Amino acid sequence: MNSLYDKVKKNLIWKSVFRRDYRDTARNRAMAIFGNVFLHLHPVRVRESAVKLRYTWGMGGITFLAFIILTITGVVLMFYYHPTVDLAYLDMKDLEFQAPYGVISRNLHRWAAHFMVIVVMIHMFRVFMTGSYKAPRQFNWGIGVILLVLTFLLSFTGYLLPWDQLGFWAITVGTNMGAATPLIGYQGPFSEFLHITPYNDIRFALLGGAQVGGNALLRSYIWHCIAIPLISVILMFVHFWRVRKDGGISRPQH
Amino acid sequence: MASENQNTTRLRAQIFAGLSIALLLLSAWVIWDDEFGLRPWKHYQKEYKALKHEKLDKEYQDALRDFKRSGGARRLEMLEKQLAKSEEAFKQKGVHEQYVKLNAQIDDLHAKMALSQKELQMVRGQYLETEYYFTKTQKPEYKKKMDELQRQIDAIDRSNKALIARDEPLMQQISKLTGGMDEIRAEIEAMKKALEERKEKMANNDKAPIEIKQYMIKDTDKADRCVSCHAGIESSAQVSKKQPYTKHPLGFVYLGKHDPGKFGCTFCHRGQGRATTTIEKAHGNVKHFAEPMLKGDMTQTSCLNCHGDIKNLRGAEKIAGNTELVKKYGCYSCHKIPGYEGMGDVGPELTNVGTKVNYSWAVKWLMDPKKYFSTARMPKFFFTQDQAEAIADYLFSMSGTTRHDVDYAANTPNEKLVEKGRSLWSQARCNLCHMTNGKGGNHIKVYAPDLSKVGSKANKTWLFNWIKDPNKYFPGTKMPRFRFTDEEITALVEYVVSEYQDDDAENSYTTQATIPAASIKKGKDLIQQYGCYGCHKIQGMEMVQVAPSLKSQGVTFLRNDEMREKIGTELSSIGSKPVDLLDFGKLKKAIPNDRLSYIKQKLRDPRGFRLGLRMPNFGLSEKEVNELAAVLYGFTDSNVPNRFLVPSRQELDRMAGVPGYKFTGDFAKVIADVKCTNCHSIKGIGADYAPDLSIVGSKLQEGWIRGFLANPDVIRPLMQQMPKLGLSGGVKPAKITMPRFNLGKQKVEDTNRSDVDVVMNYFQQELVTPDIPKDIPTVGDVAMSEQIAQGRKLYDQKGCVSCHQIGTDGGALGPNLTNVGNRLKPGFIFKHLENSRKFKPDIVEPNYGFTERERIFLTNYLMTLKLTAK
Repeated sequence: MNSLYDKVKKNLIWKSVFRRDYRDTARNRAMAIFGNVFLHLHPVRVRESAVKLRYTWGMGGITFLAFIILTITGVVLMFYYHPTVDLAYLDMKDLEFQAPYGVISRNLHRWAAHFMVIVVMIHMFRVFMTGSYKAPRQFNWGIGVILLVLTFLLSFTGYLLPWDQLGFWAITVGTNMGAATPLIGYQGPFSEFLHITPYNDIRFALLGGAQVGGNALLRSYIWHCIAIPLISVILMFVHFWRVRKDGGISRPQH
Repeated sequence: MASENQNTTRLRAQIFAGLSIALLLLSAWVIWDDEFGLRPWKHYQKEYKALKHEKLDKEYQDALRDFKRSGGARRLEMLEKQLAKSEEAFKQKGVHEQYVKLNAQIDDLHAKMALSQKELQMVRGQYLETEYYFTKTQKPEYKKKMDELQRQIDAIDRSNKALIARDEPLMQQISKLTGGMDEIRAEIEAMKKALEERKEKMANNDKAPIEIKQYMIKDTDKADRCVSCHAGIESSAQVSKKQPYTKHPLGFVYLGKHDPGKFGCTFCHRGQGRATTTIEKAHGNVKHFAEPMLKGDMTQTSCLNCHGDIKNLRGAEKIAGNTELVKKYGCYSCHKIPGYEGMGDVGPELTNVGTKVNYSWAVKWLMDPKKYFSTARMPKFFFTQDQAEAIADYLFSMSGTTRHDVDYAANTPNEKLVEKGRSLWSQARCNLCHMTNGKGGNHIKVYAPDLSKVGSKANKTWLFNWIKDPNKYFPGTKMPRFRFTDEEITALVEYVVSEYQDDDAENSYTTQATIPAASIKKGKDLIQQYGCYGCHKIQGMEMVQVAPSLKSQGVTFLRNDEMREKIGTELSSIGSKPVDLLDFGKLKKAIPNDRLSYIKQKLRDPRGFRLGLRMPNFGLSEKEVNELAAVLYGFTDSNVPNRFLVPSRQELDRMAGVPGYKFTGDFAKVIADVKCTNCHSIKGIGADYAPDLSIVGSKLQEGWIRGFLANPDVIRPLMQQMPKLGLSGGVKPAKITMPRFNLGKQKVEDTNRSDVDVVMNYFQQELVTPDIPKDIPTVGDVAMSEQIAQGRKLYDQKGCVSCHQIGTDGGALGPNLTNVGNRLKPGFIFKHLENSRKFKPDIVEPNYGFTERERIFLTNYLMTLKLTAK
């Protein structure tokens, strides 16, 4: 029993999530303050070598800038957009033709979205090539991977919102791929053991129905505008905080 | 080291400053673009306002000049002086007191008048009540009471008159006191008003805000912003001929009948109604936008969206004419098209074609019908000699004949018979429907075959039987049965065969040859593959199996008796079919990838897109291609709200459960034979080529009809040669007269009655209207001869002579009236003079607003116009 307890608790993964216990000691109290993300988001000092563009390319920061642009323009777009089958496409047309600053808002949102996906991948490439995923940054690498997936999901869910042919078929194809997932997709292997049908599988959960329709649009909208950004923001805080805790931005070793 | 640091800092500051300036400029551009660059309609609206201001200003200046020139200004000055003088006089001592006193007297008087009026009404009411009881019961006491009340009424009337008499002098006194101030004021106001109104109009125009304007149609989520640029589209006066400021052409029809607030613009014009940023976007001429704007006559294609019946629809003349092409070429034979169900076969029946035509001719015809006759309606299927022979073999074998030709070219015809036939040919007016050597065949909706080469095509036996009873060979044909005797038919056939020979005919089977079985099988397969049974009735094709050659291509349709399955693609929504579902094949890069271009190309060259296509080539002219494409473009499944739909008369009747009109009794048999409805319309059945006969029994005299049927003549010599003066004008038909059907020579099948008697009886009993009286009212106080003289005077006064002809005098636009007394019934003339449009809506005759007496006189005069038989 004890050995199992040790196995679960005394490993890196457990420790990277639950960093301390809850005993009221001076050390734990200090750790609570040290670990407060809002007090320690930005490092106290930055080494000159860390701001060298040649080494980091500034890609992480640029990704965050894109995220901020997307948040602001996204909020503006939400004022003009109804996530309903009848109105979604027409609202997009009105943004193009009629809404004040609609064109710049929509275009900024679209281009920033493409930009973010590209930049986040370059960021990951840089981290990999500089070996910054190695201890002590292995935890933050894991967070980064989750953030990458969330970025892709944001892109994917946003694709449906204009409710045009492109988005419609992209989501149709994308969710059909989900239907082939082992166990939880009705077309995937072993799904029959779980009594999975087109009406209770992962695709159904994604679409809110058996085909792309009003529910899929609404789900995309909620995921895109509220749920995924919320999760992303939390994970981003952890990400930035960990950068500092792991000794600042990685830099050339002199 | 420090200087290097300073240098880098300065460089960074410079880069930062540069980028900041760039961002500032960019922001400024964004603001400018959003305000002006993306909103070109602001410019257009300003321009329109300026143009309108200019126009209104000019109108105002003109009105002002007129006002000055016509002495209005001087008169105004004078009136104003007068008013000032009167006002001065009114202010003098004692005048005002008297004015008040007089006014009080007048008020008192008017109150009394009102009271007495009320009393009068009450007593009159009592009188009417008593009168009612009296008429009901006839009791003398009521009569007594009535007299008493009448006395009261007279008394009140008298006192009333006395009151009114007092009113007048009082008013005059007041007017004297005020010096006519009120009248002068009113006149000044009226004079100023005309000018003020113009000024106000101008001010309103200048005040109008520059803003986005749109028609919202809620239930279809439409927002048509076209009016944001097309600011003058709804106005009745043309402000400028320049786009986008013009008014809507024929606006009183298109906008008057379709309130833009309810219909918007894009229901008819398509295009991208929401777009306002560029002309291309708004008109939908951008990539991936499937519905480019429709302009000009092409817009009429949208009438088909809602109107079930576009015949005689104002503003839909072009598209109504175009739909005739669908009927001409029988598109519905191979394609499912809504509204064209059950139209019947477009081609002749081929069940016994082997007994009719020469084998060589059939093969030649199958290979290229247009080569034989440039006006042929049958399309070219691009058959090879082998294939054409195979099909002919199948058809001939099903008729129980072999490969055979009959050649009359070498025979010497019987001259006497030919002469007799020639005169019969012109008497029966065969050329009315059939074209020969480029002449005749004007009956555009009958599509009778060209007979120029018929002598080398059909054999004499068949021609004889055909003329004798067309229905026997081809039930439902449009060819009437002329009541010829056998001798007459023989003469006619002799004439036709000798006169209309084909010099190029190659009759290679004058000695019969048996048909190889393999060829028959091949022919059957070809007929199934190309769907010949769509247009022709063909023996052995009643239940068509899938052709083996098609089965290998994966086609599995089965055609049943009612032709529910058509061989071609369904066309019910071709006009809104998504462009990516259209197969451009190898022409993908050669022609524009839009729906209209596809449809036109398909009509021009049906098999040009890729191999394996089956649609034949109709050899359409470019004009026909455009016209037909316009119709096809109108077959949409556009989401038209139900409230827009205007079903046709037939649809409405069907919905209401009203059975369509059917001819009954022996008359039905005559109609089935003589085919009156090829040209005439009777109770909504038939063509609109000859006069409508729905109320012929009320209109025409029996004697005249009998005479006319025996020897038809032109009633209106010029009418048919002139384009109609209505909007539908256009094609200029040549002089047409009715053929002689030789009615009256034969009895109707299974009865003892002469066919002409049956027709007459049906006309008098069935084709009448209660709106037209049998006889006209009589006028007792004027002698008949005097009435006729009066009528004649009216005829001359009103200028009837300029259109109608009597004897040799007069115009020829209206019918000749020389014999009208023998032709029309007096009741019809009487009613026709009252409102000529009632029975013929598109008539050109003006409405003179005759009184009843005048109409009686005129009718009586016209009834004296009789041509005595020579």
